[in-house]
Amino acid sequence: MKDISDQHIKLGNDIDHLDEDHVAVSLCELTKRFGDFVAVNNLSLTIKSGEIFGLLGPNGSGKTTIVNMMSGLSKYTSGQVKIFGYNIERHNKVIHAILGIVPQETALYEELNAWTNMSLHAYLYGLARSEHTRLITDMLKLVQLYDRRYNRVSTFSGGMKRRLALARALLHDPRLLCLDEPTLGVDVQSRRAIWDYILDLKKRNKTVILTTNYLEEANMLCDRIAIIDHGKLVALDTPISLKQKHGDTIIEIETITPVSSIVLAQLRGLKSITEVTQNRSILRVVLSGDLSVTGKIVTIVTQETNIKTISQREPNLEEIFLDLTGGALRD
Amino acid sequence: MKINLIYSLYVILAIALKDIRTSFTEQAFMITNIIIPVNFLLFFLLFALTGGQAPTAVVLEEHGPYAEQFVAAMMKSHSFIIHETTSIEAQNLMRQGQIVAIVTIPLNFDDALRKGHQVLLPVMINNLNVDFTDDIRRAVPLAITSFYEDTFPNQVVVRANEQDTNIHDTDYVQYLVVSLMVVSVMLGGMIQAGANAAREYEKLTIKELLLAPTSPWTIQIGKILGALVLNSFAVILVIIVIVVLIGIWPLHWDELIGFSLLLMITFAALGSFIGTMVRRRQAVIPLSIGLTIPVFFISGAFGPAIWGDKSIAIITQFQPVYYGIAIFQHAFHNFTTTSTGPTVDGVILVGFAVIMVLTSTIALGRSRNKGVMN
Repeated sequence: MKDISDQHIKLGNDIDHLDEDHVAVSLCELTKRFGDFVAVNNLSLTIKSGEIFGLLGPNGSGKTTIVNMMSGLSKYTSGQVKIFGYNIERHNKVIHAILGIVPQETALYEELNAWTNMSLHAYLYGLARSEHTRLITDMLKLVQLYDRRYNRVSTFSGGMKRRLALARALLHDPRLLCLDEPTLGVDVQSRRAIWDYILDLKKRNKTVILTTNYLEEANMLCDRIAIIDHGKLVALDTPISLKQKHGDTIIEIETITPVSSIVLAQLRGLKSITEVTQNRSILRVVLSGDLSVTGKIVTIVTQETNIKTISQREPNLEEIFLDLTGGALRD
Repeated sequence: MKINLIYSLYVILAIALKDIRTSFTEQAFMITNIIIPVNFLLFFLLFALTGGQAPTAVVLEEHGPYAEQFVAAMMKSHSFIIHETTSIEAQNLMRQGQIVAIVTIPLNFDDALRKGHQVLLPVMINNLNVDFTDDIRRAVPLAITSFYEDTFPNQVVVRANEQDTNIHDTDYVQYLVVSLMVVSVMLGGMIQAGANAAREYEKLTIKELLLAPTSPWTIQIGKILGALVLNSFAVILVIIVIVVLIGIWPLHWDELIGFSLLLMITFAALGSFIGTMVRRRQAVIPLSIGLTIPVFFISGAFGPAIWGDKSIAIITQFQPVYYGIAIFQHAFHNFTTTSTGPTVDGVILVGFAVIMVLTSTIALGRSRNKGVMN
C-alpha cells in the first residue's frame, strides 16, 4: 500500500523535492487504528505552503481523523506529522499557534454571543488585548456577522455558524487553516460566501486544507486533491489532471428507443472507446484520446434508432471517484 | 516568563468567565446546582430531627403528682414524641400504625409509690422495627431512673460523677449540620464542575480549548476557578441557612472560609475529573450523588469516625470528607474529632486538593493525547 501511496504522490507535483520552507504539511506513513479497525492506513502526502488542498472522500473514509491527527486532537498509531517543519508531538503549542481549525461541528459556544466567542478565542491565543476590539470587528465584518455580534450563536443559521467559526479560526492569523466539511448542511448562498472567503485566503498566502465530500466544491476551490477511501490515498493530483487521467471525454446520446446489445457490442469494438453503458434511452460512451470516432458512433446508433440529443463533456470528479473506488459515495 | 505568566492568567480568567456565563444561560441547571446542596442539608436535617424520637402514647389512668412527674421524666429523655391520650384512642393509634408504643401509668401509681410497693408499668411495643423497639426498651428504664433521681433522690445511691471535656453540650443537630455542610460543598462542587467539563465534550466545544496554544494546567485551573465561583453561591446559601436559620455560629470564621475554599477546589477538581471521564452531564449528577452519600455515612457525620467501627475508621482516612468534617467541626465548635488534630488535618486536605487538581489535569491532557472524539 505504501508503494501505491508514494506512486500517487509522485504523480502529483513532485513536491517530495521541495524545500522544507515551502512545505506546510508533511504526513509520513501515518496510521491510525481503533482496535482492529484501521481508520487511516499508511498515508504519506505533502502539502505545499500557500495551496488550497482538498481531502476528498466519502463519509467514514478517514478525512476528519487525518485532520484531527494533524492538529493533535487525535494521537496517531504510527507515522509522523510535521506542520511547517514542526513535529506535532514535540511542538504541540507552536503548531496550535499557527494553525486555525474549523471543525465539522463548529465547536462554538452556542449559549454565548458571537462577540464573546471571538473574545474567548482572542484570549486563548494570547492576542494583544489592545487589539482585541479591532481584530474581532474586522473578522466579524469580513464574514458579515458584525450586526449580529451580540446575538446568541444558538439563534444563527447553519451558514452563519460556519462563517463565525471561520472568522474565529482566522482571528489569530494562522498560517495554516484546516476546514473540516466547511459547507456541510449550509444553504447555497452561504456556501458561495464561504467559497469566496476560502479563495480570498489563498490571495493572502494562507495554506488551506479542506475536507469535503462535495466534489463540486473540491473542483472549484482546490489546487490539488487527495482522494481518500478506507483511510488510504487512492489519488493525488490537480482537478484538471485527475480529469485528464481518468476518462478523457464522455459522450451522452439520448435516443428515441434503447439500442440493442448488437449496437452496444459494435460500439465497444471501436478504437479509443473505453466504456459503453446504457440507462433506458441514455447511452453513455467514454472516449480515451481520439475524438474522430464520434462520427462512427453516431452512424452506428442511427442505423437502429433516431437520436434526440447528443452532448460531449469532461468527466466530473464524482465519476472519477467512482472509477477509482468502484462504489458510490457512502453515508 | 513574565509574559507567559500573564498570558496564562488571562486564559484562566477567560475560561472561568466563559464557564460562569455559560452556566448562567442554562438557568434551570444553575438553579438545580444551587438547590441540590441546600436541599441535601435541609432534608438530612429533617431526617435527623424527626427520626431520633419514637412516637409514643401515654395513657394516664392516674393524675397524681408522681404520675405527672413520671411523664415529665419521659419528656426529659428526648427519646419520645409523647401523645397523652385515652386507652381507647391509644389502641386506635397503635392499630393505625401511628405510634411505636403505649405506656400506661396505672390507676394506683401514686398510692403504690407512697406505700413503697412495686409498680408494674404496662408498655406495649409495636416491634416491627428493632431500632425503634430498642429505643423504647432503653428509654423507659432511663425515664424510670430519671424519675427516681428527681423524685426520690435519697433512694438512688449510685450516681455518675460527670466531668465534661467541653464547656457546653453539643446538640446532635449542631454536630450533624456541620458534617452536612461539608457534604453539601462536596456535592455542589462535583456537580458544578462535572457539568461544566462534561458540557464541553457533549457540545464538542472542548476542541476550541484543546486546540489553543496553552497547557492543560491553564485550562483546568480556569475551569476549576469557574466552578468555584459558581459553587460559592450554593456554599454561601448553605452557610446562611446554618448561621441564620439554624443558629450555629462558627467559632473560627477564618478556618471556615479558608477550608471552604480549599474543599471547593478539591471537589471542583474531582467533579472536573468525573466530567472529563464520563463526558455526559446526565451521568455527572447521579455519579456525584452516588459517591457523596456513602462517603457521608463513613466520614463521621454523626460523631467522630474513630469512635465507630475500626475498619471503617481506617478506610475513611483515605478520602477528604473525613478531614473536611473534622476541620469544620473545629471551625464551628472547636472540636478535635480525629487523632491527627486540626493542623495535620488541614495539611492533609491541602494534599488532597493538590492530588485532585493534578489528577483532573492529567485526565484533560490524556483526552488531548488520546483524541477528543475518538
